[in-house]
Amino acid sequence: MKMKTMKMNRVGCFLLFLLCFSWVGCEKATEYNPSPRDNFEALWRIMDENYCFFAFKDVDWDEVHDRYSLLVKDTMNQYELFDVLGEMLAEVKDGHTNLISSFDMSRYWAWYEDYPPNFYEEIQKNYLGTDYHIAGGLEYKRLADDRIGYVYYESFSSGVGESNLDYMFLHFQDCEGLIIDVRNNGGGALTNADRIASRFLEERMLTGYIQYKNGNGHNDFSDPEPVYLSPSEYIRWLRPVVVLTNRHSYSATNDFVNTMRLLPHVTIMGDRTGGGSGLPFSSELPNGWSVRFSACPMLDVNKEHTEFGIDPDVPVSITEEDLLRGHDTILDTALEFLQAKTDSIRNEGE
Amino acid sequence: MFISIWLVGCVQLWGQSTGAEEIPLSTHESTQIGIGGYNLRDTYLSPSTNINYTGWVARVLNERMKMVRLADYRVSRQQLINVEFGSTRNGAGTAREYAGFIDYSLGYHYRFTPPLPGLKLLAGASARISGGFIYNTRNSNNPASGKADLDLNLSAMAIYQFKIKQLPLTLRYQAEIPFAGMLFSVHKGEPYYYLTQGNRSGLVHFSSFHNKFAMRNYFTLDIPVSRVTIRLGYLNSMYRTDVAGIQTHVLSNSFLIGFAKEFVAFSGKRLKSNAHRYRSAFY
Repeated sequence: MKMKTMKMNRVGCFLLFLLCFSWVGCEKATEYNPSPRDNFEALWRIMDENYCFFAFKDVDWDEVHDRYSLLVKDTMNQYELFDVLGEMLAEVKDGHTNLISSFDMSRYWAWYEDYPPNFYEEIQKNYLGTDYHIAGGLEYKRLADDRIGYVYYESFSSGVGESNLDYMFLHFQDCEGLIIDVRNNGGGALTNADRIASRFLEERMLTGYIQYKNGNGHNDFSDPEPVYLSPSEYIRWLRPVVVLTNRHSYSATNDFVNTMRLLPHVTIMGDRTGGGSGLPFSSELPNGWSVRFSACPMLDVNKEHTEFGIDPDVPVSITEEDLLRGHDTILDTALEFLQAKTDSIRNEGE
Repeated sequence: MFISIWLVGCVQLWGQSTGAEEIPLSTHESTQIGIGGYNLRDTYLSPSTNINYTGWVARVLNERMKMVRLADYRVSRQQLINVEFGSTRNGAGTAREYAGFIDYSLGYHYRFTPPLPGLKLLAGASARISGGFIYNTRNSNNPASGKADLDLNLSAMAIYQFKIKQLPLTLRYQAEIPFAGMLFSVHKGEPYYYLTQGNRSGLVHFSSFHNKFAMRNYFTLDIPVSRVTIRLGYLNSMYRTDVAGIQTHVLSNSFLIGFAKEFVAFSGKRLKSNAHRYRSAFY
């Protein structure tokens, strides 16, 4: 009996030893927090520490805090709070900055809504018809008696594979010029932009720089890192190209235009792009709402921001007269421009 | 890094081949599956917040231990392979984070003279290599946070054999704490797209207690049932880092169940010399 008691004591000692050395993590789940004040402060802080264009846009974020703080009441419901916070985000005038709840998404779209559309699907149909080809996200067709290739790319989020591009270029092999229409293309994946742009390069080239915020201060940035693009190993197009743009050419499209405008055989035509040169990151509020904001500035080759857009080489707008006739002034101008250019090249050759 | 690789390489060499000892050294092996609670935070995925994601984690844990020649057979080698996958959500239930990790550790423990009958005390060091990710379903250009660590750990273990009535049981507790190593981490706010542009400087960081605290508390209880040994376990795992402006924690408490066994492995030339000691279905 005594022996048994000793053994039990030893087991007890051992268990005590284990408990002494047991170090259990005591982190709890973060509870849902609907407090208007807490969520307001959390959103303001997320932007304050991570948004990348305060200095460039000359936004006094402290002043914004004080102004909007007065509008936040403990008694306001979630819809009222959402509206106030959404308006606060709109102060930075950034299409990449959104507040996203289960019932709504705040946005700043004035970068294209305040300008002429310069693109109409109904009018585009007059040129594309119904017998155009579709390869991935590309819609393409030969125009102007098969002299000019026309491709419309609606979104850089739509996948475009190397074989899609190869088949498109094969279809255009007898064309003398090419029109790439990225009007109303709101952006998407930079990899798609790079993949397409690399088809027009003769050699590796510097296309711009990228930075990221490496601290919480408004001017805490990493050194600009050069961004290079190499020519594609697949079919490349080195004949004249016109890229059509409007104010709704945004984000990755802006980046695509930023690269294409560097090429000597490419002409940008249409309206200024919408901009959107900040690579967006995401975070969240204690009530579960998601916030997206520009976090990493992408600069052009001169280390300048293109957040507010890129001007075309040839500014053209759709005229009211053409609109009534169902004509696309920008596309017509591009067709004429390319035909004149290819005629000129042919004449020089002769 | 070189010191740790050299250290691991050396002890591996010392640990090979048990020679022609009369009693073959058996390998202790166990495989367990487990499930438990998961608690994640990563400020790369949710900048400027302190929001914890909680949920479940499932894991498979394989362990092997064997005596080695070092210090006149007073050292044992332990290998652990852990694979885990977890799913969590934020408090509001509006976003999910998934995480997956795999790690391998190789440790050597000196076995002290038992202070009490049935009690074994072991202390030593181990090297662990691990890699994994945390993925947030909500995010735009910061959707995932990659993790890779190489650690040198201090490790201690106590194994106690006792009986309840006539049932022999074995209880084990092991604690492991990394004290130095290296880890991969992008900088706060640095998109992975940035890495594709060629600049990969500043991604590998020296880690120690100033920027990382991790610990594993591992309990097992072996219960012989008929012709098998059932192993019940509990694993408390903590991983906290504060590196390059990013705070991360991966915490878990898992209950495990599996089987443990002892076996003697013959291979190579020893297959023939020990032919009288086994009946093979293959050789």
